Amino acid sequence: MTDRSTMTRFALAGLTAGALLLAACGGDDGNGDDGDANAPGTSNGEARDSGTLKFYTDKAAWEPQFDRVSDASEEQVGWDLDFTGYSDADAYSAFIKQSFRTREKPTLFTWHTGDALAELVDEGMVAPTSDIWAEAIASGDIPADLEQYYTYDGEQYCVPLNVAYWVLYYNKHVFADHGLEAPQTWDDLMHIADTLAAEGIPAFYQTNILFSFVWFQTLLAGSDPDLYEALGTGEASYTDPGVVAVMEQWGDMIEAGYFSDPGLADDPQVLLNNGDVAMLNFGTFFTGSLNELGMVSGEDYDLFVIPNVDPSLDRTSLIVESGPLCAAQEADDRDQALDYLTWWVGAEAQTEWANARGDVSFNPNAEIRDERLAALGEEAGTDEIRLVERYFEATPQPVLTAALDGFGAFVTSPGDPMPILETIQAEADAYWATQ
Amino acid sequence: MAPGVLIVAVLLYLPFLWTTYLSFTRYRGLGSPEWIGLDNYQAMFSDPALLTSLRNTALWVAGTIIVPVGIGLLIAVLTYNMRFGAWFRLPFLIPYAISGVAVGVIWSFILQSNGALSQALDAFGLPGAESRWLLDAPLNTFVMIGAAAWQASGVNALLFVIGLQSIPKEPVEAAKVDGASGWRMFRSILWPMLRPLTTVVVGLSIVASLKTFDVVYVMTQGGPGRSSETLAITMYRETFVQSEYGQGGAVSVVLTVVTLAASIAYLRRQLSERRAL
Repeated sequence: MTDRSTMTRFALAGLTAGALLLAACGGDDGNGDDGDANAPGTSNGEARDSGTLKFYTDKAAWEPQFDRVSDASEEQVGWDLDFTGYSDADAYSAFIKQSFRTREKPTLFTWHTGDALAELVDEGMVAPTSDIWAEAIASGDIPADLEQYYTYDGEQYCVPLNVAYWVLYYNKHVFADHGLEAPQTWDDLMHIADTLAAEGIPAFYQTNILFSFVWFQTLLAGSDPDLYEALGTGEASYTDPGVVAVMEQWGDMIEAGYFSDPGLADDPQVLLNNGDVAMLNFGTFFTGSLNELGMVSGEDYDLFVIPNVDPSLDRTSLIVESGPLCAAQEADDRDQALDYLTWWVGAEAQTEWANARGDVSFNPNAEIRDERLAALGEEAGTDEIRLVERYFEATPQPVLTAALDGFGAFVTSPGDPMPILETIQAEADAYWATQ
Repeated sequence: MAPGVLIVAVLLYLPFLWTTYLSFTRYRGLGSPEWIGLDNYQAMFSDPALLTSLRNTALWVAGTIIVPVGIGLLIAVLTYNMRFGAWFRLPFLIPYAISGVAVGVIWSFILQSNGALSQALDAFGLPGAESRWLLDAPLNTFVMIGAAAWQASGVNALLFVIGLQSIPKEPVEAAKVDGASGWRMFRSILWPMLRPLTTVVVGLSIVASLKTFDVVYVMTQGGPGRSSETLAITMYRETFVQSEYGQGGAVSVVLTVVTLAASIAYLRRQLSERRAL
């Protein structure tokens, strides 16, 4: 009896452990006959022309806006999105990478351009989208300038999920109370910061976590955009005198009281709404956060393109970020996903998406209802603007991590920037030596 | 016994062996791991940030033994014989019911720049209102140890009370007859008889402090500039932020070895002293 009982327990434990192991591995058996008739995009092995596509993103907070676009796509092309949102970018990144090893490949997913996308392309994980790009550029749905951020070895991968231009939002009531107006030049901006600092109001918001790079990119792209771009490609050093000068300027601005305390844990939109800071240096995606607080564009807040630090530059540097929407190369419903991406870049989809988000669109044919954002979108397309890729995407991951740590320390305790710049450069040297 | 061994092997040993293997490879989560020998360990020990991480982890170990264990013992000794003592201990136990993440969120609100603590100090005209609790090292590590102590002291008190209540009455009564009370009673009777329980509480605290992650991650993410990083944060950073799974594996192997070595060394010492008694 005892032996039989032991054997039974052993067998049960073995089965349980085996099941756990299989579940953990979750690998594709390769024969494709899993028999899941409800698998998205397929029905008993045959392609369908409507249904649901699995969609993953690290922008969990954007679920209501994705739902609106999903409703529109279901109506217009017959496909809606099965939304899974992550709030933690690191956990999301690990999840997506691991999911490529399983049967549950992410049909559609958001990612980052630059080094992060190159990594997936190198491993053949994402489907090429060159045909979609060629058609969209020809029809004017995607500006040709964006193509460079999605091109690897002459082929395009993914399409833009969105674009955002980095501008200064300002509290109009704070400006009015102090007789200030939106600046035309860098000197104007420094005069505003001086005026507010004298009243004990920090002109600008800054933080020591994640977005610690923002003022570095603003100051360097506005002083020497060529040097800024050369840092991203490893052709310039972080110890270059131009970079050191920018760090020193940044330190002087911090010492002058232009910035909020980097240790504040309050949401930046709340600080702007309360008038605790006068300006926020953020991407246009931030408009939605301000509107959600009940702030009205043009009445409570407005925005302006940040003037160049160096007034002798021909064009005004405007930071742009573009996040990709990708299709997995080996997903069962890859063809349907690519059809969805074709729809996504069109004017109808982008009108729905950009207005749901309260943001600009990469598609010049989309109708943006917010007049200020629409004007900014047009301005960004003129010859007076030089679009410069956001530091977060322009910098390889290991260098970026070291830089975020360094800038976080610098905004907390500004001083001699050289040790920080040397640490970042050491990381850059190690990275570029392997490329 | 066999089913238990099998489950432990599959769920604990296999992941550990896989992590150990990864620590000898270069692996970014895609493709196949590439064998690089001891390079990850070499890179780790030549990184100055590891020294900061080790120092902070050592501070956490020392702080966790001194503060929550000390406070727990104090609460237990002062209340175990008291009428309605359980009601005095209850408020200290409540924080134990919430997660480390929630503790981090609550204490971030209190300790952030111009947060609740600074405002309270300012309102009462006390010094320290200008302190940058979470920005300056090693102050940020000290205040986070305080936040963790707020959570852990209650359960330590509970364990010590159980220990105190299990002490036989006879030696205590005999000591009372001999005139012992207060500090003398504690030092000569209660403390020696609490020794087995103290060994457990301190042992658990050492292990918990060596793997400190949640409170630090929520409150400072190891910053600013990696100044409050612990070994567990370093492991997370390398693995999930940098996507250097091999490097993260090397840190986790070192962390495991340190935890095991500290636990075994402590328990051996305690057990050998008990035998000597």
